[in-house]
Amino acid sequence: MGNLFSSMFDRLWGVNKELRILILGLDGAGKTTILYRLQVGEVVTTKPTIGFNVETLTYKNLKLNVWDLGGQTSIRPYWRCYYANTAAVIFVVDSTDKDRMAIASKELHMMLQEEELQDAALLVFANKQDQPGALSASEVSKELKLAELKDRSWSIVASSAIKGEGITEGLDWLIDVVKEEQL
Amino acid sequence: MSTHTYKKFEESNAGGLPDKMTVYQDCLNEFNESPVSPKKCRLLLSRLLKLLSHGDTFPPNEATALFFSISKLFQHPNNSLRQVVYLAIKELCMISEDVLMATSSIMKDVQNGSDLVKPNAIRSLTRVLDESTAFSAERLFKSAVVSKDPSISSAALVSSYHLLPIAESTVRRYANEMQETVSDLKTHQHTGSSTEYYRGSSYMSQYHALGLLCKLKSHDKVAMMKLVQQFSSGNILREQLAQIQLVRLVHELLVMDNQLIPEFVPLLSNWVSSGRQSVQLETCKLISALAIHMPTDLFDSMIRTLQMMLAVPHVSFRFAAVRLLNKISMSAPEKIVICNPELESLINDSNRNISTYAITTLLKTGTSKNISSLINTITKFIHDVSDDFKVIIIDCIRTLSLKFPGEWKNLLSFLIDTLKSADGGFQFKNSIAEALFDLIHYVPESKEQALEHLCDFIEDCEFSEILVRILHLLGKEGPNTSKPSLFVRHNYNRVVLDNSIIRSAAVSALSKFALTKGDPTLGPSIEILLKGIEIDHDDEVRDRATIALKLINTSKTDPIVAEEFIKPTYGYDLYALESKLAQYLHENPDGFTSPFDASTIPKYTEDEIKAIELKERQQKMLAATEGTSVNNSSLAGDSSAPKATQDSLIETSDDETLSLKYAEQINAIEEFSSFGTIINSSKPVSLTEPEAEFTVFGVKHLFEDHVVLQFNITNTLKDVGLENVVVVCNTEADSNEIEEEFTIPVDRLLPHEVASCYVSFKRPNKTATYGFFNTINFTTLELDPATNAPFEGDEGFQDEYEIDTLYLQAGDHIKPYFVGNFSAVLDELPYEQVAVYNLKQSNSSLQDLVNKLVVSTNCLPLENSQFVSSETNSHTLKLFGKKVFTDDRVALVVGMIKSKKGTALKVQCKCDDESFCVDLANELIL
Repeated sequence: MGNLFSSMFDRLWGVNKELRILILGLDGAGKTTILYRLQVGEVVTTKPTIGFNVETLTYKNLKLNVWDLGGQTSIRPYWRCYYANTAAVIFVVDSTDKDRMAIASKELHMMLQEEELQDAALLVFANKQDQPGALSASEVSKELKLAELKDRSWSIVASSAIKGEGITEGLDWLIDVVKEEQL
Repeated sequence: MSTHTYKKFEESNAGGLPDKMTVYQDCLNEFNESPVSPKKCRLLLSRLLKLLSHGDTFPPNEATALFFSISKLFQHPNNSLRQVVYLAIKELCMISEDVLMATSSIMKDVQNGSDLVKPNAIRSLTRVLDESTAFSAERLFKSAVVSKDPSISSAALVSSYHLLPIAESTVRRYANEMQETVSDLKTHQHTGSSTEYYRGSSYMSQYHALGLLCKLKSHDKVAMMKLVQQFSSGNILREQLAQIQLVRLVHELLVMDNQLIPEFVPLLSNWVSSGRQSVQLETCKLISALAIHMPTDLFDSMIRTLQMMLAVPHVSFRFAAVRLLNKISMSAPEKIVICNPELESLINDSNRNISTYAITTLLKTGTSKNISSLINTITKFIHDVSDDFKVIIIDCIRTLSLKFPGEWKNLLSFLIDTLKSADGGFQFKNSIAEALFDLIHYVPESKEQALEHLCDFIEDCEFSEILVRILHLLGKEGPNTSKPSLFVRHNYNRVVLDNSIIRSAAVSALSKFALTKGDPTLGPSIEILLKGIEIDHDDEVRDRATIALKLINTSKTDPIVAEEFIKPTYGYDLYALESKLAQYLHENPDGFTSPFDASTIPKYTEDEIKAIELKERQQKMLAATEGTSVNNSSLAGDSSAPKATQDSLIETSDDETLSLKYAEQINAIEEFSSFGTIINSSKPVSLTEPEAEFTVFGVKHLFEDHVVLQFNITNTLKDVGLENVVVVCNTEADSNEIEEEFTIPVDRLLPHEVASCYVSFKRPNKTATYGFFNTINFTTLELDPATNAPFEGDEGFQDEYEIDTLYLQAGDHIKPYFVGNFSAVLDELPYEQVAVYNLKQSNSSLQDLVNKLVVSTNCLPLENSQFVSSETNSHTLKLFGKKVFTDDRVALVVGMIKSKKGTALKVQCKCDDESFCVDLANELIL
């Protein structure tokens, strides 16, 4: 009985609805580490993702369906197969990898042009801040040309998945925006 | 879901298959929902699987779309949904692209999933892996193999088989874990509520692990020996399939190197006399396959084991045992005589397969002494079995008539009795008729009596087809018998009494009697009969009678032409005739104004046809006895399989079609167009070890003025190509009579390809033996495995490769020939030459030697002398043939004695041609 009531309440408040969130970015940016930081709260050893990882987690009473897609060149073309019904995109950048900032920017803008992602919010993690020589959030923002984005809620947060810094802050922002837009 | 709604759900597709497009659309919609409903998805997936399992398929783009939507179901943690998802992924992997997208998700399940889905995940994982991703799964496989749960371990082991072709090196890296699994007995989780069955089956992973190890170690003799030593001692192998696998491993090992046999004798004798019946049986198979190398007492204990197995209650063991005995009976009938009491009791076995094998085995072990009593037993037995089995028994009797020509009286009366008895269908009667034809063919003494019996039979025969065949035989053989008029009467009876098909056959047969040499009074009588038939109401009958009369009349003025048509002395090669006719109809260059040219079709005389038929029959018998060894080579592993099949193709394919194929190949080459037709082609001779990098077979073709050596070269290497392949032939120093003309090289030989290189010589006048020392010269090129083309700018490097010597010898001038009365012909031949050979350290058996002699002399073995009993140390081989250019007859009698010091051969050669006789006898290559 108790279950029945709670599920009715859930439905009433729209809690049963799952939010689809994609984590994208170039290979080696730290996407899988962020996913498991969110889910289990600690750092797991990862291998390059061939394909994707998907986890369901509850954050602030919201059910999140988080998809971490592999970032290797061979896998990037398949990202688009998973765009449908996406509430938000988390784009992860390796802040120390200055050489590939241009590529990251290109992939990001190409992805955001997709019809299916028109309403998705964007959170950029300028990751690996614990490493020496990492660009700051504003520098990364400049490199990625985030200022050019129109009609989209976006934010950039400096983070370190290894140390667990910035992750919750970023996600808090994202949940607030998405709640506003979708529910 | 209540039963009510459940019913409603199912009703929509209760009968046939679900609609393909509906399933496709439903899948896409449902799987992209958020959140997904596991129940609905499972149902949809099961429908999809039902479609796929019925052979329905999707175009690649739809399959890919399906695959991606199914991959979205990974978000749901429901285990039963996950299992169905894996099944679907496994199926879709065959038709969808981009399956690698599921790799990470599957790997995660293999690592952290529940034990329930792990086996499914492992099995799907092998389907999505490719060369580049396989290595990342190594650790997963490693830990799955040693898992405590036997179903996970088995899944990993069996999946590794599938992984072998794409990533063998990865699999090799966890060989140690496999070893561990063999010796580690895993108890099944169900032990709590277990039955005997469960506990037994829980050792299955032992079998899977051992099988995989055997596969990895095949070809590596030392590693295989180690495996056997490790697992044969003590009580490590509990699973009987694993034990059988070990026996097979030993089998493979011993086939590779039969020098090892003495070392394994204790183990084998242990296996054959104790343990489980299936292991005993497998060991018996091993021993019988390698019988010639086995010590006698081991062979005897195998026979005892089989004998015991003939009496066990389990049908499949009885069947396997009697089948094996039947096989042994082909090569060593005298060894299994002790099983006769058991075999006799099996004649009445309720399983007809067993009883038929029992009786055919008994027939083979029969000697000329007990054959008549056996035939008595069969006479009682044959009426109880169905026609299929009757045919098998008759076939066996048919081979008996070749084996014991002296027993023809008994065989004849048996065959005639069964032929005349009322029951049995066409197949059965036809096979009896065929057996009788054989008897008449190959045992000339039986001819008259058999023909008389057949005449009786056709008075009351319900099968027109058989009647026609018998009438043809009467026409062919009747005129040469002592009282042809008897057969004329029987023949004419048919014209009076039967239907038009039989009447026309009878007319053709009758006309042949008109030319009877022995009885000139017959001619006019036949003419009178035929004139009477000219008013028959059937067209065909009238036509045949008219043309026969016409020919008989011409025979008075021009006997040769008439004889040519009424009693042709040769027949065409039917396969060649058919293909030429089909070609003629198909091409039709000028509206059929030019007549069909039959001159290029090979013609055979009666004796030649007999020789070909006998050879086919002998080869069939040989193939039956060698069946086991062929199986073994296919056991030896994938890499050698193509080679093995190629070899067996060469062996089994009919000689005539083979030489036709060569003729076609050679005709297509411009350089040989002036040479005329091939007069004789030898059998292919292997010039390399079968496991060499390049395997070469040599074939010798004889033309009127030339000799062409053809070298069929197979490149067995993986990523090396050859360019400008030339065979350099150096003749022996002193023979300057043979002059090389030209060589045709192979431009490029890619991996796993076969190509032919030709070297042409002037044909020497003498028939002496010439040896050709051959070297292959070529340029090797490394190939890019991706494109199979050489790397750019790679000029390769020159290399050469020495192959065995190819001998052109007297035997190449011989065509095999059949003759019914060998000893009489032998006495007739004018020239004789006797030579003695001593072969010192020869390990080969007499049977090997006989096989070699048959190939090198190219003669036809007669009187069943090509089979050597495995018991004896001496044998006499009788060979007959004709020289191709002159039709001189050649007969050879080779006596051989094997002793500890070696083998001694005495070759007696008799021939119409003196110098050829000397060459053949003195220069045999062994």
